[in-house]
Formats: sequence, C-alpha cells, structure tokens
Amino acid sequence: MVVAQNTRTNNPVGKSVARNDVLEKVTGGATYTDDIQFGPGLLHCRVKRSPHPHALIKKIDYSKALKLPGVKGVATGDDFPDLIGLYLKDRCFFARGKVRFVGEAVVGVVATTEEIAEAAVDLIDVEYELLTPVLDPEFGASPEAPLIHPDLGNYDHPNFIFPVANSNISNHFKIRKGDIEAAWTQCAAIVEHTFRIPHVQHVPIEPHVAVAKCEDNGQVTLWASTQSPFAQRALLAKALHIPESDFRVIAPLIGGGFGCKAGVTMEAIPVAMAMKYKGQPIKFRLTREEEFYTNFVRQGLVIKIKVGCDKEGNLLALQNRMYWDGGAYTEYGVNVTRAGGYSSTGPYDIPNVATDSICVYTNHPVGGAYRGFGMAELHTGVDQAMDMLAAKIGLDPVEFHKKNCVQGGDVLATGMVIHDVGIKECIEKVAQALDWEIKDKPSAPNKLRGKGVALAWKAPAMPPNAGSSALVKMNSDGTVTVSVGGQEIGQGTFTAMAQIAAEALGVPYENVKVSGPIDTRYSPYEWQTVASRLTWSMGNAVRNAALDARKKVLDVVAEAWGEDAKDLDIKDGYVISYKTEESVSIKDIVVYGLPKPNDGGWIGGPIVGAGSFMPSYVTGLDAETGQGNRAVVHYTTGAQGVEIEVDKETGRIEVLRAACAFDVGKAINPDMVRQQMEGGFIQGLSSALFEGCQLVDGVMRNPSFVDYRIATAADVPAEIDTFIIEHAQDDGPFGARGIGEHPLVPSIAAVAAALYDATGLRITNPPFSAEKVYLALLEAGLVE
Amino acid sequence: MNNAHPGLPDFVEYVKPASLEEASKFLVAHAGESRPFLGATDCIVRMRDGIWKTKYLVDVKGLDGTNQITFDPAVGLTIGAAVPMNKVAAHPAVIKHYPLLAEACHWVASYQLRSRATIVGNICNASPAGDTIGASMLLEGVLRVFGPDGYRDEPLNGFFKGPGRTNLKPGDIAVSVSFPLPPQGNSGRYIKLGRNKLGDLAIVGVTAFGYPDSSAASGYRFRIALASVAPIPLRVPKAEELLASKPIDEAVLAEAAQLAYESCTPIDDVRGSARYRKQMVRNLTRNALVDIWSKIRKDA
Repeated sequence: MVVAQNTRTNNPVGKSVARNDVLEKVTGGATYTDDIQFGPGLLHCRVKRSPHPHALIKKIDYSKALKLPGVKGVATGDDFPDLIGLYLKDRCFFARGKVRFVGEAVVGVVATTEEIAEAAVDLIDVEYELLTPVLDPEFGASPEAPLIHPDLGNYDHPNFIFPVANSNISNHFKIRKGDIEAAWTQCAAIVEHTFRIPHVQHVPIEPHVAVAKCEDNGQVTLWASTQSPFAQRALLAKALHIPESDFRVIAPLIGGGFGCKAGVTMEAIPVAMAMKYKGQPIKFRLTREEEFYTNFVRQGLVIKIKVGCDKEGNLLALQNRMYWDGGAYTEYGVNVTRAGGYSSTGPYDIPNVATDSICVYTNHPVGGAYRGFGMAELHTGVDQAMDMLAAKIGLDPVEFHKKNCVQGGDVLATGMVIHDVGIKECIEKVAQALDWEIKDKPSAPNKLRGKGVALAWKAPAMPPNAGSSALVKMNSDGTVTVSVGGQEIGQGTFTAMAQIAAEALGVPYENVKVSGPIDTRYSPYEWQTVASRLTWSMGNAVRNAALDARKKVLDVVAEAWGEDAKDLDIKDGYVISYKTEESVSIKDIVVYGLPKPNDGGWIGGPIVGAGSFMPSYVTGLDAETGQGNRAVVHYTTGAQGVEIEVDKETGRIEVLRAACAFDVGKAINPDMVRQQMEGGFIQGLSSALFEGCQLVDGVMRNPSFVDYRIATAADVPAEIDTFIIEHAQDDGPFGARGIGEHPLVPSIAAVAAALYDATGLRITNPPFSAEKVYLALLEAGLVE
Repeated sequence: MNNAHPGLPDFVEYVKPASLEEASKFLVAHAGESRPFLGATDCIVRMRDGIWKTKYLVDVKGLDGTNQITFDPAVGLTIGAAVPMNKVAAHPAVIKHYPLLAEACHWVASYQLRSRATIVGNICNASPAGDTIGASMLLEGVLRVFGPDGYRDEPLNGFFKGPGRTNLKPGDIAVSVSFPLPPQGNSGRYIKLGRNKLGDLAIVGVTAFGYPDSSAASGYRFRIALASVAPIPLRVPKAEELLASKPIDEAVLAEAAQLAYESCTPIDDVRGSARYRKQMVRNLTRNALVDIWSKIRKDA
C-alpha cells in the first residue's frame, strides 16, 4: 500500500474518511462470487421446483433427464434426510414427501452447462397429490387449518423459541405486563385497528450464487455470496455429519443482501450436489425470478392493535396481536417474530402491555431476515395506531410522540431497564427540519399536501451469545492488516473497522487494510453479518485486538528503552516517549523487534494482536409473561418525517422532502451513517409506495422487475435531511451502536401519517400505490 | 408461472441474412419457428421467459438502409427500422418538427434500453402498452414493409389486430416508418402513468395531438390514442369528431375525455384494475387536451 504524505488521517474515529472499498468497486475490479474462474471442470446445477403450494410427492421420474447428454446426475430429498435451520430445524435440502410452497426445490440436476441442466429439469416428471394450502396466517393459526408440518413437535430449537405442537404455530411469543383490562377503563381515548403488511422482497442487485466442491478426502469448500459464512459452516457441516474444520466457506464481496443472504438458503443445494458428485466444483445461480419467490421474503403480517391513553395523551395500555405469515419454513422467521414480540410496543413507554406475536406456517414463500427484522412491519402497525390515537385525543403527533417516547431508565415491556437514548432529540430535529409548525399550501389546485412523522427502534436480534473476533497483524512497512469474519456488504464495515483499529492503535487510517475475502479457514469467527451488530460487536473485537497489539508494541519498546510502558504512546505510527521525547517508527520494530544494547541480542518479534467480544448479560424471558432482566443488548432509536403531495387526478404520492434522525451512540464515520439513513429511507419509501409480492393461491404474480417495482432515483425526494444524535453506548467501541437497518423501519408509517394529514384518509395496507390512493379518494368523495 | 431460463434456451439459433430477400425467404421457409428482430429488447425477454419458443432469431438490422433517418422538408420524415430510440429522440428534425415522437421515446423504459430499442420494433411488437405507437399513429405513420411479393406500405391506422398481432405475415420485414409533414401550429402530448416514475410499463398512456384547421366546424382538429386500455392501441374517433364539430371550451374538452373513458375497454391485471384505468383515461385525456388547447388556440 502506497500512502501519500498528504493523506494521513490520524484519530480517524468520527471523521468521514473515504471508504476503503470504493476504487475496486467503481472500476469493476472487485471480485464477486460469480467472477471467480473455476476452469473447464466446472459443473452447473439447476433445480426442479414445485408448481404447487401444498402437495404430496407421489412419484419422481428423472430417468429421461439422466439420459440427456451432459447430465452428470440428480439428487432428491431421499439423498439428504437431515433437517437444517438456524432457530428451528424444520427444512431439508430438497423436499421430502411433500412440498410446502411454490418454488420449493424437489430435484437438483448437475450438468456440464447451465443450459443442459435447465433442459434436464424440463425432462423430470413429478407426480403430486394436491393438498389444501394455507394462505392466510390468521386462519393458519386456527385449529381448523390443515397442518403444514405435522412433525413440528419434534423439531429442534433453542429454549427461547416456543412452537406449539400439532398446530401451524411455530413460535408464540407472549408479553403480559401490568393489568391491561383495568387500564382500558382509565383510558380517555382508545384506538383499535387491524393493519395488513404484504410480503416484500430484498432485491439485491447481485442474485444469489454459490459454488461448492467436495474433495475425494471429504473436505468441502463453498464459495458463496453470503452474509453468514460461519453460520453456513456450522449449519451445513452439522446437517452433513462432517466436522466443521472439514467445511470451508469463502465469501467474496457481496452485491447487496439486506438479510436474504443470511443463514443458509440456496447454498445448501450446490453443497448437497457436491457431496454426491465429488471432485468437481458445482455452480448454482438463481435467476432474478427465482430470487423473487424461492428465497427468503420479508414475511407478511396481520397486526391487530388496541392502544389507549389518558386525557393528557399519556399512553396507558397496548394490546398487540401479530399473526406473521411465516411461510412454508420458519427456521429463521421464528426469531423475526420473537423480535417483533419483545419490541412490540415500539419506542413508547407503556405501563400495561399484552402481546401475542404468533409465527404461523403458511404455504407462502419462506420468511426470513429482511433489513429491520420485523421492525418495519411492526412499526407500520404500531406507529400508525399512535398517529390515530394522537388525532383522537387531539394532540399534535410530534407532541404526542415526545410525550410518550422511551427515555433512559424506563422499564420496557419485557422488564428491561433501557439505557440512555436520544430519541426525543431525534423527534425535535425531524420536526424542525420539516418546519412542522408551518402548513404549506399545495403547489397546484389538484394537489393535497401533508406532513407525517414516525418513530423507530430496533435491537440487534440474535442469540444472547453471538460473538465476534478479530486479528490485528503489524507489517514491516508500517501498515496494519485487520482480519475479521464480518462481511463488507456495501454498508462500509471494512472502512469502519479500519478507522477503529487506526484510532485504537495510533496509526493513520490510510495505513490500515482490512483483509478479504472472508474465509472460515483463515478469518476469525463472526456470528453473522446481520442485526446491525458489526460496528458495535465486531468493532469491539477489532478495538480489543488493536489494543492488544498496541500493548505488545509498547512493551517491546519499553523494555528496549528501559522505560515504563505507561510513559509511551503511539502517535501517527510512531512510538513516542513522553519522558525522553524519543520516538521510533513502528515499522522498524513490529516484525523484526529491537536490538538490545551492545549487540546483546534482540527483543520482541512479529506482533499480532487478538481480540474478541461477546455480550454476557442478556437473559432469558419467561415463556408466559415475556419478563426478564435484559431482553436485548441495546436499542438504536430514531425518528423520520416526510412532507408529501397527493395528486388528486392520479392518486400518486410525491415525497417532497424527508428528514431522518437517529441516535447512533457515536458515528464512527458520519458520512457513512448519513448514507445508511438515506439508503434505508429510500428502501422504506419504496416499500411504502410500490412494493409487494402479489401472491394468489400461493403463486407470486409479479416475480420480476417488470411488475415488482422498486423506487428509482426519480422517485426519491431531492431533499433528505439527516441528523446524527450521539448518546454514547456504554459497551460500544467509542460509544457506537448500529444504524444499518433502522432508517427503513419508520418509513411506511411516516408516509401513512403524511397521507392522513394531506387527505384525512387512513390506508392501512401498504403499499400506498397511486391506484389505491386514488380509489380511496374516490370512495371518500374527495374526487369525482 | 412460466419457467424463466437462466439464459436463452439452448435450442435458439441466430441467423444473420445478407439481404432483405434472403431474410424474407428464410422467414417464409421457417414460418412458425422463426422471427425477425431489431433491438431484441422484447424478443430476448420473451424467449428467456419461455413465452416464445422460436427456433430461429433472424437479425434484420442494417439491411438496405434500415439504419438511416432522413428528413425532407417537402415530404417528411423516414426512420429506418434499426434506428435506436435515443438516436431518434436526439435528431434535430425530430426535435423541431415531430417533438411528440421524441417525447414518446423519452418515456420508453430506460436510457440504456433505448440505445437498443427501436420505434419500428415497438410498432411491430404491437403491445397495447407500446409508448411510441400512439405518437406514430397520430402523426400518420406509414410502415414500409418488404415481403415475399416485394415492398408495400402499411398505414398504422388499421395495422393492429390484437395484442402482438398485426397485418404482418411470415416473410414480412418492416424496414422503416414514414411520417408526412405535420400540420402547421400543431401541439402534442404523451402522458404516461406508471406505478413509479421511471421505467415502468404504462398502466395508462394518453397521446393527444391538435392543430388549427379552418375546414373543421370548431376550427380545430384533435387526435387521441390510448395505450394499455384495449387489446390494441386505441384511437377515439367519437371524441375526435366532437372536438372538430363543437366550439371548444373546457367543458367540451372534458366531454371528449369522457368519451375516451367510455370507449376504452381495459382489463384487470397485475399492473392495475380496469376501474382505475378508465378513470385515468378520463383524467389524463382531459389534462392532455387542456394542455394542447392552451398552446394551439388562436385567441391565446
């Protein structure tokens, strides 16, 4: 690495340094999984999928496919009987006995080309006996619904997931706090409403791709576009009965994931094929259409809210009943519904709470992690209900939010006492940016204009003991190599880690390189790149590793100089002594050590720092009441507001401006924090206005960008104000906590509130498409 | 659900004939299993989606002048079949004399796609949603076709038979579209409603065109074409007759928009409901007519 003299950024934490991954990305030089060349031995995989949402598999005939020249072989559920899953082991590599959603993998084919594999798929005949599908989560939870997983009672799961055997309920999370029935009688205003939030897709620009190879000696290597190399190693090795050390995952840069590349999804298929057809790498790529309906979706939600306040507008009680449309398998989704449960109040202080967060198997696509992990869906219901309640009690929504938002020291619905949070300042910043007090006139006679605000909170959703680790290796040219197991997914984590390491060590940011790709053989362990947890958790590990390296450097110099390490410091890559004012460049010592006086030998040697981090304080929650000492590690909180105009002639919503404010504890890189706020808002806006999987009888009718519309640059407001609030996280590196997911969380509710302000209409089933808005205006007599 | 291929199916063969005659003969000899193509922006997608099972894709770009735009102030404009939309929209004669055509081009998909997509392809594809078809019809476009019996002209009014169906027969290759000089003092508008602002297919598209004409009782003539609300790109003769006969004011323009509403027969589909589409035909037709009227009225 060449470091020019004029680009030495010391103490980079809190500075918007240039990202360390941009050059290779904008020039096209960056290597993604599909770019890796495997030579002429590469085989290709395609999959025969279920056309039915729910059916018994009576017969599979792949004899014609095997006769097609170029076909190497097939695999079915019979080859791989083991169950796999992150939080609930409920799915197989290929369907066994029955199919549970349209698009489920039934037969895998390996051939010399992708085209031959695809042609072979068309030659496979599968005979089905159709079963009645479950297409609604509320019905699915009822005793009348056909069972999708009759064996649910036998599935493995950790102790914080609560499946109900002989039902379609794969997790039922409850909170019972205070006395909700008594509280209703104290309420001056009560709002009771049902909201329906559709399935949406992640649509990363890079579709899923994975290549697997099994050596003759049983060693398996998986190259994948993944957020979770270590989780994939753990889950797949266990399901295949091989030691984790024989399973290696290499994870190059990733072209977006937003949660759909977390855990194990389609990677299981090439791995399974490689286990059966050893010795050659096997590649599997999803088409964009498959990306839409065969992979994780953000599950749909039916949320029934009853919320009340006293005559001053103080919240008294909340009843929140959520039916999550978990899809055919809920191995990951059960934890989304748990997160929706323990955070079910939203960032509001409510003394009496009854929550039932119910994860329901349906014959819809498989629900999983999606940026926000349940929070956007939850807030779409809760925050709209709050906006309705504010209107009913006659309070301005901003005043209502400020009056009721959580503050440090509040006892949350789970019994956890929340840390210091800056959400009130976030609300004030957003209101100020939108000139909340001023009612602007519409820009034209055919327009209606309004403003809306909504809040957000989210905690990292993860097992209590999700850990991180890091290595900091000192190089003889004065640079530092940081090894981590967390993934650069576009969020800029490699940049943030370099900043943290540079700050903790005392070297310029430009001298720190973060090594990729992530390789489970060489990279230190990281649970997963999810949950907005890397800056905080991996950042702690990197900081600890850097401090370890720093101590080792100082100990060597102290010994060589006969000084106390306490009198030494590292500044700008030099060890300095405050006592003697001597200094030495670290590059002269971190590999080769320092000579003792009079040629009397050597001190030190190559320096490597190691660090790790794992929260130790998260406790379990009672199965019946949801009460416990500390449900989560922390919450990131914030607010968002929009000003919109509604075109009365078309129903189209135009967002004129937006404001986002979040309490991130400490912004390691303020520009990157702002980018998250802008990007998250735009993704949230997209789901507010355009996005939804149109599922009819289990079939997605719009599985392509032609008919699954996402926001383009033209659909985004020119003005997005962002505000960084910093109430330090007590156990965060330099006080930081995460921001990756949160800005998407309040967007639908904010737009809904603005729509109400503009039109007086509540549309409670996003997306708020032009058609839906126009027809609502028509029904209400606001247009002819 | 159609099973989308990861790439083109492996049975597809690309054919590049050296002349129109050769192309036409090949298409006749392989009728039913071959298609001519230009920018291929629709064709590749349909092949990949498994909607078309065509075996031979016959590349008819660059044959006998299909890459040229020519403008003659005495005769009009001729756009070769293979000229991409970006080139059309940037052509000085198009901008000066046929701005409606340029406006329609701007609404097609994305800039990147328009560097391949062609107007003639858009016309021959005969999608009721085709963005440039309305403008081409209202500007009295005539398609030049080379077929097994040589050249012939196909006026666009009457050319469309149904979604994807036209007067073209196997062996026919559209080589250009020509437009006469438009009437003096004209103005046109294309208003496209998509689900989002950029790159969508039209839920509803309204093309309107008007000009002063002393031979009309009202002193003006208007032409209206509607996209995505009927099996074919739809003209609205009743509204056009009304606007030629009745003295024009806001109420008459609204009446014409109402006639457009009544004449269209949209369907419910994944992009929008018939009910919404009809309403939008009325509102957007009115807006387009009001806008044009403000520009062409002589007392303005």
